[in-house]
This record gives sequence, C-alpha cells and structure tokens, in this order.
Amino acid sequence: MSLETLSEFNWSVMTPEFIILGVIALLTLLDLFMPKRIDRRILGWLSIAGIIAAMAALFSLLGTEPTSILYDTFTLDMFGKSFKLLLLAGAGLVMFLAVSYDAKEGMEDYRGEFYYLFLTALLGAMFMTSSGDLITLFIGLELLSISSYILAGIKKHNLKSNESAMKYVINGSIATAITLFGMSYVYGLTGSTNLAEIANKLSAVVDGQHTYLLGLAFLMIFVGLSFKLASAPFHMWAPDVYQGAPTPVTAFLSVVSKTAGFVIVIRILISVFFNAAPSGDGGSILFKMHDYLAFLAAVTMIIGNVVALKQTNIKRMFAYSSIAHAGYLLVALTTLSANLIFSVWFYLLAYMLMNLGAFAVIQVVTEKTGSAEIADFAGLYRRSPVLAVTMGILLVSLAGFPGTAGFIGKLNIFVGAFYGEPHYVLASIMIATTVVSYFYYFGVMTQMFFRPAREESKFNLPFGIIVVLIVAVVGSVLFGVAPNIALDFLNKM
Amino acid sequence: MMENAWLIPLFPLLSFLILLLFGKRLKEASAYVGILLTLASLVFSILVLFERFSEPTYSTKFDWLTIGDLHLTAGFEVNQLNALMLFIVSLVSFLVHTYSKGYMNGDERFPVFYAYLGLFTFAMLGLVISPNLLQTYIFWELVGVGSFLLIGFYYYKEEAKAAAKKAFIMTRIGDVGLFIGMILLFWETKSFEYSEIFAAVDAGAVSGTMITLTAILIFIGAVGKSGQFPLHTWLPDAMEGPTPVSALIHAATMVAAGVYLVAALFPLFAASKTALLTIAVIGAFTAIFAASIGLVQTDIKRVLAYSTVSQLGYMMLALGSAGYVAGVFHLMTHAFFKALLFLAAGSVIHAVHTQNIEEMGGLWKKLKLTGPLFLIGTLAISGVPGLSGFFSKDEILVAAWEGGHPILFFLALIAAFMTAFYMFRLFFLVFTGEARSEQKHVHESPNNMTYPMILLGVLAVIAGYVNTPWFGSFLGDWLVDGNPALGHGHVEGPIWIMIAATVVSLAGIYFAYLMYRKRSIARNTISGTGDTLHTILLNKYYVDEFYQLTVVAFTKGLSYFLRFIDVFLVEGLVKGVVGIVQGLGRTGSKMQTGQVQTYGAVAFFSLALLVVIFALTGGYLR
Repeated sequence: MSLETLSEFNWSVMTPEFIILGVIALLTLLDLFMPKRIDRRILGWLSIAGIIAAMAALFSLLGTEPTSILYDTFTLDMFGKSFKLLLLAGAGLVMFLAVSYDAKEGMEDYRGEFYYLFLTALLGAMFMTSSGDLITLFIGLELLSISSYILAGIKKHNLKSNESAMKYVINGSIATAITLFGMSYVYGLTGSTNLAEIANKLSAVVDGQHTYLLGLAFLMIFVGLSFKLASAPFHMWAPDVYQGAPTPVTAFLSVVSKTAGFVIVIRILISVFFNAAPSGDGGSILFKMHDYLAFLAAVTMIIGNVVALKQTNIKRMFAYSSIAHAGYLLVALTTLSANLIFSVWFYLLAYMLMNLGAFAVIQVVTEKTGSAEIADFAGLYRRSPVLAVTMGILLVSLAGFPGTAGFIGKLNIFVGAFYGEPHYVLASIMIATTVVSYFYYFGVMTQMFFRPAREESKFNLPFGIIVVLIVAVVGSVLFGVAPNIALDFLNKM
Repeated sequence: MMENAWLIPLFPLLSFLILLLFGKRLKEASAYVGILLTLASLVFSILVLFERFSEPTYSTKFDWLTIGDLHLTAGFEVNQLNALMLFIVSLVSFLVHTYSKGYMNGDERFPVFYAYLGLFTFAMLGLVISPNLLQTYIFWELVGVGSFLLIGFYYYKEEAKAAAKKAFIMTRIGDVGLFIGMILLFWETKSFEYSEIFAAVDAGAVSGTMITLTAILIFIGAVGKSGQFPLHTWLPDAMEGPTPVSALIHAATMVAAGVYLVAALFPLFAASKTALLTIAVIGAFTAIFAASIGLVQTDIKRVLAYSTVSQLGYMMLALGSAGYVAGVFHLMTHAFFKALLFLAAGSVIHAVHTQNIEEMGGLWKKLKLTGPLFLIGTLAISGVPGLSGFFSKDEILVAAWEGGHPILFFLALIAAFMTAFYMFRLFFLVFTGEARSEQKHVHESPNNMTYPMILLGVLAVIAGYVNTPWFGSFLGDWLVDGNPALGHGHVEGPIWIMIAATVVSLAGIYFAYLMYRKRSIARNTISGTGDTLHTILLNKYYVDEFYQLTVVAFTKGLSYFLRFIDVFLVEGLVKGVVGIVQGLGRTGSKMQTGQVQTYGAVAFFSLALLVVIFALTGGYLR
C-alpha cells in the first residue's frame, strides 16, 4: 500500500473515530503530566466534550452515501451510523455518571484511567459497527473487552471489584476462544476474512458437508458472542460482575457493551450467514438454525426474569433484568422480520434510556447508603419525590407499560414475531416472562412508595446525575408517546 | 394560532406535573400555578375560537406508530365544534380553579386537588381536539381516571370511595361498547380517522347494518359518560366529590363528553335512522325520567345532579332528532348555567355546612350575591324567555317536533314543566321563608368564589343570543358551515312551540311558588310524603335497587360459583405455577455459585449440547 493509495481514501468517514482516538491520546498525556493535586474529574468533562464532538461529526456524515475505505474493512453505512449514534449517546450518558461517581475507596491514583478507558472501550465498539472484515471486527471486540476488564477492577483495593474483574476476564477469554474457533471454520470454508467476500462464497456452497461445518461455526460464534450479550448460555458472569464493578462500569456493561454485542451479532448473522443458502432449496442457513436461536432466546428470557425475582441486591437484580432484555432482543433476531434492524435499534435505544436512568438513581442511592440492597429504596418517595417519581417512570418503561418507550420496543418485537411464519410459542414466552418481570420491578416500586424510610436524610443530586435523569425520563416518555420520531430519524440516515 | 392549538391541553398537564413534583413545597401557592396555567389555556382557546370564525378548519396529523404496514396516526383538529368545546372547557376549568382557591381553602391535600384538576383538564382538552377515534378513546379513559380521582378525593369517607368506584365501573360498562364499536369501525374502514370513517360511510363502503351496529355501540359509550338511562346511577352518587369538581366534571365538561362524541361522529349517526331514533328515545326518556326524580330529592347537589342527567337527555334528544345545532347549542348554554348553579350551591354549602334543603331557608338576605346568581341560573335552566336556556331549549323542542317525533316532543315539554318546578322548589326552599335558628354564622363567600359565579351569571344570561330566532342564528350557521351532513344552521319552527315552552315553564314556576312560597297549595296535594308515587320518586324508581337485585345479585351468584372454581381449580394451578417459578428462581440462584469454573463449564457444556443435537439431527432439527 503506497502513500498515494492511503491518501486517496475518504478518511472523513472515520472522523468520529479519529476524534475519540485524539481525545484518548490527549487524556493519556494530560493524566501523565498534570500535577497530582489537580482533580482528574476535568478529564471526565473533556471526554464528554470529545464524545459530543464525535456525535456532531457523525451528524455531519449522516447524509453521506454508504462508503467503504481501507479495502472494505471499514464501511460507513446506515447500520453503522445508526448504531454508532446509539453507542456514542450511551457512552456519553455513562460518562456523566462517571464524573458524578464518588468512589469510597481506592480510586484516587488512577481516576484518569477510569475516564479514558471508557473511551477506548467505546472506540472498539464503534469500530465494530463499521467493520467489513472479521479481523477488524475481532480487534474492535477485543479492544472493548480488554478495556472493560480493567474498568471492572478499577477499584484496585476493593475485594469485590477485584473478584468482579477476575471473573470477567476468565469468562471473557473462554468466550473469545470459542468465537475465534468458530470464525476459523468460516475462514477455512471460504478462505477469506472479508465479510462481503465470505457472503459471496457462501451463497455458492451446496456441499452438504460444508453446510454442516457452517452450522457448527454458527453455533460456536453465536455462543461465544452471547457472552457480550449476556444471554444464555454465557450469562452467568453478569450478576457477579455487575455487583462488584463500580456503578458507572456496570451501567456501561449493561448498555454500551450489550449494544456492541448485538452490533457484531447482527453484522455476522446478516452478512455471513444470511446469504448462505446451503441445501439449495432456498432460504438461508439462518432459517434452518432459528430453532436454536429461539431456544436460546426463550431460555434467556426465562432465566433472566425468573431468577431476578429472588434477588435482594439491586445491582444483581438489574443484572438479571439485563439478561432478560437480551432475551427479548434475541426474539427479534430469531424472527428475522423485515424491520429487524429497526426493532433492535429502537429497543436498544429505549433500553439505553431507561436502564441508564435507573442506574443513575441506583448510583445515588447506593452511594448514600453504602450498600446496594433493594430494601435501601424504602421510603424513597418521602426522602426525594423527584428521584422516586423518576425511578418509577423508568421502571414502568422497563416493565413495558403503554406510554413508554419500553412498551413500543416490546410491541415492535412482538408484532415482528408474527411476520412470515408466526412464532406463537416464543411470543407467548415473551408475554409470560414480561408479566413475571412486573413482580420484581414493582417490588422496587413498593419499597419506594409504600414502605417507611429507614432514615430521613435528603439527597444531593450532582449535575451529571441530573443530566442523565432528564435525558432518560424525557426520552423514555417521548419515544413512548411519539415513537415515529425515531423511525423518521432512522429513515433519513 | 390554530396550528398551535395542541399547546392548549399541555398547560394543564404542566400544572399537573409541577404540582405532582413540587406540590408539597408550594402548599397554598399551588392554586396560583393551576390558575395561571389554565388561564393560559383559556387565552389560547379564545384566540383559536376567534380565528376559527374567519378561517377554515385546521387539522394536522403524523404517523404515530408504524409497525410494518400498520400505520397509526395522531394529531389534532380545530373545527367549529372543537374550537367551541376548547373554549367551554378551558373557561369552566379556569373559573373552577379560581373558585376552588376559596372553597378548598385549608384542606390538607390542597395541592393534590389542584394536581388532579390539572390532569382532568388536560385529558378533557385533549379529548376535544382528537382527530381520530383511538386518540379520543385514550383521552376518554384518562378523563375517567381524572373523574375517579376527584370523586374519591375525600377518600376517608366511605360514600366517596364507593361513589368513585361506582362511577368508574358504570362508565367502564359504556366504554366496552365504545371500544367494540371503535374496533369494528377500524375493521371496516381500516382507519381510526374521523374524516376517513366519514368518507367511507359516505361512499357506501360500510354496510347499513354495520353502521347502525357501530353507531349504537359507540352511543353506549356516550350513555355511560353522559349518565343516560340506564347507566345514569353513578352521576348523582358522584356528588360526593368536592362541589367545584361537580361543577367542572359532572355538569359542564366530562358528562357533556358523551354528547360531544355523538356530535363529533354525527355524520356516522346520521347515516342510520335506527341509531338516531335510539338516541332520541333514550334522550327523551332520560330527560323526563330524571326530571321526575328531581322533584322530590332533598339534597341540593342531588337535585342539580338529576337536573344535569335530564338536561343531557335533552341534548341527546336534539341530536337524535337530527338537531345537531340544537344539541351543541344546549351543551354550551347548559355548561354555563349549570356550572353557575353548582358553584352557587357550593357557596351555599360553604355558608351553612349542610346539603339538605329542608334545613335551609331564608338565605336570600344573608347571601346577597349568591342568591341573585342562583336565581339567574334557575331562571335560565327553567327556560324563562330572555335567558340563554330559553333559546337553546326552544331549539331542541323545535328539532324534536320537526324531526317527526311528536311523542318525544310532548315528553320533553312535560320535562320542561318539571324542570321549572323542581328548580324553583329548590330556590324557594333554600332562599326564602324563615331563616333557621341553627344557622348563625352565615356569611357570603370570598371574592375568589363570587367572581367566577358573576362571570358565569353574565354568560348564563347572554350566551343564548348567539343563536336566536329573532336576531339571527350566528352560532348555528357557523357550526354547520361547509358540512351539509350536519343539517341546517337554523330550523324554522311553528311559533306556538315557543309560546308553549314559555307557558309551560312559567306554569312550573307558578306551581312551585304556590306550593313552596305562598303555600296556598299543600305540599302533598299531588302526592304526599309517604305515599306510593312519592316513595318511588324518592327512591329514584328503585333503579339502584333493581341493579342490586338483578345485576349485582347475578354477578354475586356467578362470583360464588367462580370462586368455587377459583379455590379448588385455579388456586391450585396458580400455586403450582408460582411454585414452579419460585423453584426455578431458587434453582437458578443456587446454580449461581460464585465459582467462575461453574460459569465456564455451564457455557461450555451448553455449547457441547447444542453441537451434539446439531450433529445427531444431521444438521437440521426438522
């Protein structure tokens, strides 16, 4: 590759990534050379500025035609743009949580890293949305994962945080190994890592043996990636890691990391497997495999919702709730309806808003009480009506009641389940488990509104928390009342 | 201005939200938040109304929800009817907000009261600008919620709780009809939009039977909301709510929503003779039925409640006789004079702390403002010439006559006599005669209560002149302008109808005068206390008892039976399901050992299992 070809690429499509990368470099240097006495929070605000700048750059790119650079390894298309926006927004909100985070112990020395590691993770996720190649997809995935491992253990002297990081890294490595193993099958079958080329080759495969191997590859890649989605069978790390990690990191894992997981799954499913029409009778291999997907989706919904009932720790409860939401999203993947991308995108948008808002409340309450028991929410309405009402709205949205974004998200997926071949069983399980979820969401509600407070002290809301709460509540209600705003927006990309 | 009409419902919503979050801190200042924000709504409504006089209908919509091929729209519309309703609702709401500042003063849950008022006003304003049935239905239910909360505002009183529940359930029965009718219409026309439904009906795309069926189903919804026979029993009980609420919800706005719904869907109803006749008959029957009950009630608010039911029956009669203008006209005048009567009644109750008219008397001298204002309201509702009620009632009688229902016409005429009689019975008993000794500290209400009444008093007098046989039918011509389906702006009736109406009304007043003021006719001339007719009327024709004996008993019997099934079958099943879910939860929690090896192993063995299944089934599960 000569310098000339390099300069001929339309680098501007990578502007958002470059901005994030630049900010990371800047923050690293600042953290290194800034005197120790200066509060590192300033780095957090800089990161927020960087994310906003990247979003602005992305908006300026909205009108561009799908562009591919670097020999099709980086593609900016509608899919990439829409999900990149979601990732940036999610990371931005997490950053507001992070600057408001008041670690009780053990973070003074590396507060700076706390901020820019979020950015490196975000950068990895953003690359995944635009990758056109298995290698870059994998690199993006690893950049995200490794940053997250460190973030989970950022409270170096906290036993829980350490345990959390350890479990995360071990499980993550197993998952990565499985994914890579699956990818190697795909490479072996097609001799290429480029997604477009793979798709091309696979559409010509008719040999039964190859189909069989492709099926194995599919199962392995999917099971490996289910680690990132926190769905069955790779879901068990989530409660332990969520509980031990600092709250902003938990929020990041449950929203941004999960979104990135769905990005890579959709990329691989759609570009690699969708076009593989093995047995020659039409229909892609995805339709042949969808019983497995349906099974995993059902198991994920059931495990997430049912086990959540038994939790007494709010962060663990939200871990199971996050597993459950991954299950709903898998229903959309299973049914492969015509508006699959929109359903998933909208659901992730709604989920980002309501979950990050809920984590903002959790962060405030747990910091105040020093523990994360659900019982600590008792009498929250007395102590802080604003906080309780906000949490109430977000919980109602998480439970999927009409008038909220959560409802529209579920409705999209539910209606999608009846496109083409109807999935009655899966749809029924979705409804049943949603009903189960009312019990644990409303359990928190009962604590907040109907139980006497253990103590009467009031809350001070930091600026960052207020921002997150406003965005979350306004968004949850707005997209619940006028969902087509999101659809129109997506159509314009 | 009209393109900004969507802002009008949002002001009260804002008031609701502010008071919900900060009500505790604002305390008494909550009233100002509510008053100012409804004033904003009122100002906008007036601007919209005036703009609508000169400009065509404004309507806008957008895709609200798109799932695949399914497009549901939302939006708002300002046509003549909507603009008029916006004005009426926001005006009465504003006045009630102001009035309540004095009336509810000192109540512990003062901010909550204003919050609820805001919620209700939002829902009601949202209802009247909805351009499609689905949106209407959503606000329709929300209005019901607001009404439920406000009737049950004194939740520590058993009666209030029961009344709130009853109102909610009775109107829900009607709503089931509305819901089914709405779904059927959507099924037939593939749209919830009023304009598209009318177009489909016009083009003959919907069969005649279907039109009749859906129209009657939707009318059942209106019967529930507007307290028409046989779903009227909740409205008198709803008087357990605070009196300003009765004025706002149970006189001027929500109960008129049923009439509004029929008016808004008038082209649909007009396409079915059967549906129109049903409405007219139910309306006329309700008018005379409720008026006769009103003759003997002794609770000042209950008399007014039955009078409301009766007047709503008049409006239905008008609409059912194809008198679109007459119905809407009476809706407007009634809103003013009935709100006035309720607020004045509230002022009386505020002064003497009782609602029993037998315990009142001689208040004319003590309540120097309330007395004359109550008299104005009474004259207006009785249909005395020159006041608003006279003109609108005349229009209805003409419509009924011209609509070809002489029997219904005479029923309405008799009801008019009864109206004048029971209203003046109320007036004479409360304001004239001997002052009671037990009422010592009677005083006039504060200004923030009397000013709204004065304004309504003025409107109760003059509002009729927008549509008279003498000075032109401005309102009527405007209402039907550009919409031939709604009929004529003014129907010329025989002059004797007006004379008959006047005579009847004056006769009613005279009888009441003789009986309750001069007492030259004994009170038990026609039917004495304790005899059959009086007892029947006093017990409201035993409709409640009838429901108690039939519907409630049947439901109870059924519920015993179901309970039997429930205890032995369902409960077992539920226990089983709960047990399984709990068990699963426990097992799931137990599996979560905290051992990272377990997690890896679970994932690995699950993958192995999947691969084995895949291998065994030859790659395909089917």
